[in-house]
Amino acid sequence: MPFEMLLGAWVAAGLTLFIFTFLYKDNPLFKLAEHLYVGISVGYTIVKVYDTVIIRLLYEPMVKQGDWSLLVPLGIGMLMLARYFPKITWLSRIAFAFIVGVGSGLAIPRIISSYILKQVEDTVRPLVSLAAEGGPTFTYNLLDPASNLNALVLLIGVVSVLFYFFFSIEHKGPVRVAAHTGILFLMISFGAAFGYTVMARMSLLIGRLTDLIEFADPQYGRASLWLLLATVATLIVWSVRRGEQKEG
Amino acid sequence: MIFLRRQLPLLITFVMGLVFAAQYYVPHPASEQLLTTVNKWIQIIGGFALVLGVTSLFHLHAVKIRRKEAGWGYSFVLYAGLLGTIAVGLWANGKEAVNGALTAFGWMYSYMMVPLQGTMFAILAFFIASAAYRSFRARSREAAVLLVAAVIVMMGRVPLGEYLVPISGDFSQWILNVLNTSVRRAILIGISLGAVALSLKIIFGIERAYLGGGKE
Amino acid sequence: MTFAERMLHIDRRIIFLVIGVCTLVPLLYPVGLAIKVSPEVRSVHDHIESLPEGSVFLLSLDFDPASKPELYPQAVALLRHAFQKNLRVIGMTLWVTGAGMADQVITQMARDLGKENGKDYVFLGWSPGVGSLIITMGQDLYKAFPSDYYNQPTKELAVLKGVQNLRDVNYVVSLAAGTAGIETWYVFGKDKYKFELGGGCTGVIAPGLYPLLRSGQINGLIGGLRGAAEYEVLIGKKGRAVAGMDAQSATHFAIIVLVILCNVFYLSIRASRGKADPR
Repeated sequence: MPFEMLLGAWVAAGLTLFIFTFLYKDNPLFKLAEHLYVGISVGYTIVKVYDTVIIRLLYEPMVKQGDWSLLVPLGIGMLMLARYFPKITWLSRIAFAFIVGVGSGLAIPRIISSYILKQVEDTVRPLVSLAAEGGPTFTYNLLDPASNLNALVLLIGVVSVLFYFFFSIEHKGPVRVAAHTGILFLMISFGAAFGYTVMARMSLLIGRLTDLIEFADPQYGRASLWLLLATVATLIVWSVRRGEQKEG
Repeated sequence: MIFLRRQLPLLITFVMGLVFAAQYYVPHPASEQLLTTVNKWIQIIGGFALVLGVTSLFHLHAVKIRRKEAGWGYSFVLYAGLLGTIAVGLWANGKEAVNGALTAFGWMYSYMMVPLQGTMFAILAFFIASAAYRSFRARSREAAVLLVAAVIVMMGRVPLGEYLVPISGDFSQWILNVLNTSVRRAILIGISLGAVALSLKIIFGIERAYLGGGKE
Repeated sequence: MTFAERMLHIDRRIIFLVIGVCTLVPLLYPVGLAIKVSPEVRSVHDHIESLPEGSVFLLSLDFDPASKPELYPQAVALLRHAFQKNLRVIGMTLWVTGAGMADQVITQMARDLGKENGKDYVFLGWSPGVGSLIITMGQDLYKAFPSDYYNQPTKELAVLKGVQNLRDVNYVVSLAAGTAGIETWYVFGKDKYKFELGGGCTGVIAPGLYPLLRSGQINGLIGGLRGAAEYEVLIGKKGRAVAGMDAQSATHFAIIVLVILCNVFYLSIRASRGKADPR
């Protein structure tokens, strides 16, 4: 077992357990791990951005391949940093205007095509083919998402939810019926979303515990078990000390 | 001067917005070349934007340390983690592994950052259980519908549920593929219409919050 | 306080303990119940299965360490399948904090299956810009990534021969944990450059991707750890995902029981209050 793997296992198991202590109470071990996490993630991002943007996207193409047109984005990027100097903050607006302008322009036709047109097309197309074919070929297999019955249910769902969110007209009469149907569909969808969220969160926990179980192996010197004992002991000492401080 | 400070940014947004919205419909090679070049620039400028987000964090914790406020020791730990990672990262030239061998930077990533971030999000599992127990009550008919749908999906997506109640698997598939799809589709259409409207407002200068503060 | 009221205000640490036990015990003593494969996971598998040898497969690992337990097993299974089919694999990520993990999984799977960097696969790494990055890749891959993650110039790599931009990629799969993921690949990528797109995602965003699945905008969806387990069953190599399914079953049932109990206590309190005050 290489030393760095052994040390890594102990550090990883220890930090994992420190964060789990939050389930008991907010305590110094958790705070230590939490602040370390923020520091390391930000540090990692900075290193990666420097390596990718400065070295790989700017320095190498400009100096090694002579692509000097990249001075333009470099200049605009530097303008953004003018935000830190109160007298010339307005210069950063030019950079933001450029990014936001390009971003908005790029987004509009793409969103219209991908989300609005395509989604409406897929809701309506099965019904057009249904209207063309007629009665005897009506498929009603609920388990097949592409069946005609499901296409109708889907249309009812989409329209009623859109009606629910349309607040510019009063929800009275037939609109009220549509809106209430929409609410029922929404509740089912939220229920499904909750079920999937539970599934996702449990999976994350399963992942961490799998790692802890792996690090409890003798080849890692039973890291998880010894560190668990140490963490629990530290928590007990800390709890008792805090209790004494409160009384005193 | 006022033109430079106030009108120029709005003009840039307007021109860039219109040019790139129109570019989508123009297949001419020059238009494609424009798209390639400007998107390359956006990548680089986007990198600078990432740096901006980070520095406010620096400032907050630096102040805490300087003023020795309560908990400043933890700010010190944060700085130590930050500077340590940067130092190790620059020494390894930003690489986690060289020829298959883990660098110190890669070690920090695999054995510190991954477990820390992973566990931070893993403890949510406990909180979702506790929250479900305390507040997931069938107070009304709609809440009851939500509850039943959630239970069916939770049962239908695990092997034990499909084994005990085989229909729960099919039922949860139907809920996801038809009922849930219709709702999400409606929400997607609605949000997209809103996004397009917002983008148009930004291009035409009606929405200016993105420009940020600073003296006029 | 009545029993029901006391039970509703129970210390939450007891619930934490229940969840902890329900997760730990099945991991230590697995049962191995059968896993049924859903059509949406099968579509991704069947599409990769149908690709001829030498096809270009782009796997974008758009997640950070927070989503590792769900998406890393998906990446392992997909890479194993792709390498076994002798596809040319291009790896990358849209998330800066995921670059290290993406590098790790591709290098490890390539080593396990005897694949060579530059010849059978390439890891492009991370680049900023998200939507703009995808557009630049769609226009000219070498402008978006002049060098790969290890600073080798991409133009000279054998694995990228004949690939000028995204139109030359046969199948793109994005493993996504949120924004900057599958939707972005569709809106800025497939909409214009017309490659086939599949997805893998965390359980949290999965329900929101079904409209795209149903309309054919993505040809398949691997949802969460369960999806990864199904894929492992399909390729015949069970791994971490299948191992976690028993714990998943136990925790889901624990939550179902907790929710039912909570409602039983709540309704009994409401009923007794109704009796006391029959208005």
